[in-house]
Amino acid sequence: MVEIVVENLYFKYPEASDYVLKNINLRIGEGESVAILGENGAGKTTLAKNLNGLLKPVEGSVKIDGVDTRSLSVAKMARRIGFVNHNPEHQFFAETVEDEVRFGLRNFGFPEEEIERSVQEALGSFGLEEYRRKNPFQLSGGEKKRLAIASIMVWHPEALIIDEPTIGMDYAQRLNIQGILRNLVSENRSIIVITHDVDFAANICRRAIVLSRGEIIGDGVLRKLLSDRELVERASLKKPFLVELEEELGLSGLEENFDGLSSILTRFFQKCRS
Amino acid sequence: MSFLKAFKYKRKESAVHRLDPRPKFLLAVVLMAVSIVFTDIRVLLTLLAGQLILLFLAKTLREWVSSLKGLLFFFAIIFATQIFFGGTLFTGFILSLRLLVLSSSMSWFFLSSTPEDIGRAMGAAGLPLELTFSFIMAIRFIPVIYDEFQSIYDAQRSRGLELEKGGFRKRVRNLMPILIPLLVGTIRRTYEIADAMEVRAFGASPKRTSYKSLKLKRGDYLLILFSILLVSILIYLKLLGVE
Repeated sequence: MVEIVVENLYFKYPEASDYVLKNINLRIGEGESVAILGENGAGKTTLAKNLNGLLKPVEGSVKIDGVDTRSLSVAKMARRIGFVNHNPEHQFFAETVEDEVRFGLRNFGFPEEEIERSVQEALGSFGLEEYRRKNPFQLSGGEKKRLAIASIMVWHPEALIIDEPTIGMDYAQRLNIQGILRNLVSENRSIIVITHDVDFAANICRRAIVLSRGEIIGDGVLRKLLSDRELVERASLKKPFLVELEEELGLSGLEENFDGLSSILTRFFQKCRS
Repeated sequence: MSFLKAFKYKRKESAVHRLDPRPKFLLAVVLMAVSIVFTDIRVLLTLLAGQLILLFLAKTLREWVSSLKGLLFFFAIIFATQIFFGGTLFTGFILSLRLLVLSSSMSWFFLSSTPEDIGRAMGAAGLPLELTFSFIMAIRFIPVIYDEFQSIYDAQRSRGLELEKGGFRKRVRNLMPILIPLLVGTIRRTYEIADAMEVRAFGASPKRTSYKSLKLKRGDYLLILFSILLVSILIYLKLLGVE
């Protein structure tokens, strides 16, 4: 599994005068589920693109298992760290869903037999089998997102970065994507979710990295971090529903474990009984 | 796609920016016409030098230089077709230089004229509002399309696509996963914009007025005179037999 270490990272786009990322230091270990949160323009997507080598640091370094991303091609990095764009349509070009899923495997030179097996498996696990001959552009928003994830997860990268997974999704589609990501977390894959949707993040990620104006203003256990009113306001976020509920129910000393609604209520009833 | 940067308006405080877009457009058209008519290397190099002076005066030389990287692909196609169809490297060079002069002719104009001013100039020339508006929108969308291209390119690179890999044919084929989503996205956006404009009553009033009108000043008249002089010199050169 993969370990990402970022040291003193500074990044700015060519021709821009200001740095988009300033003095970023972090380490994402294997099997971690991390949410990158922050206001619009905080540098979340830029950070994510630095983590998978699409962008290279101007100063400092990003290392994947000790190897500097500057010395690795994007294709080599993509094999280990998958990246799902915020707009799935940005990657669709094939005539059918199955061809879309096949694309990455062909680029990486997988043998034909393995390609067919993996495509079949990915279509099954992401609930896309019935659409295999459909044009990707004709799918619904949620199906498109699932296809985008399937076309990356088909080669089983060790880590997945997913940009704004819930944008434009209805509740059912959101739950579906949430289920997919939680499955990946349970498989001990590293998941990095870039989102504004703190409730979604709280349901998937243990850890949060909060960015504001290109700097990390918070890094730690998501629920603890987002119970800090000042930090939440500074990053133009809102407290996740589950954190608010825990506070309202007087469950002090927020648990670091990964509680869902049912376990919060169980803790509340235990507290009432005692 | 970086060549599109050469056609994106850059807000600067310069004498060229302050000129009326109409004489600027006239000079740009003259420069374009000359680069099409002449193949003589001396004429093309003189034109290029003149354009560099214009770009320097408009303080947009840096933007022009950074756009050149995008033209390298087209130069490669020109050289490849020349070699493939029995031309020489020199003809490849002349044609590439011609393309450079041709694109630069319009580049300094677009870099130094706001889309709104270009629209006003087109309106003043009696062109219909629909055409003027479409043209302005096309210019305004250059940076949007450029950003979208970058995003699509990143998405495909994340799936192992390597544009730099393989021979010429493979590289051209590799562009398909980028061009198709870009084209689909652009067409979709066109329909959305058309709908958004219609719901805001675009075209409901047949005659529109503008709060700002264009007025030619001394510098603009000088530019018109210069354009006429340039055309006269080049007609004379043509009569002398310069190719």
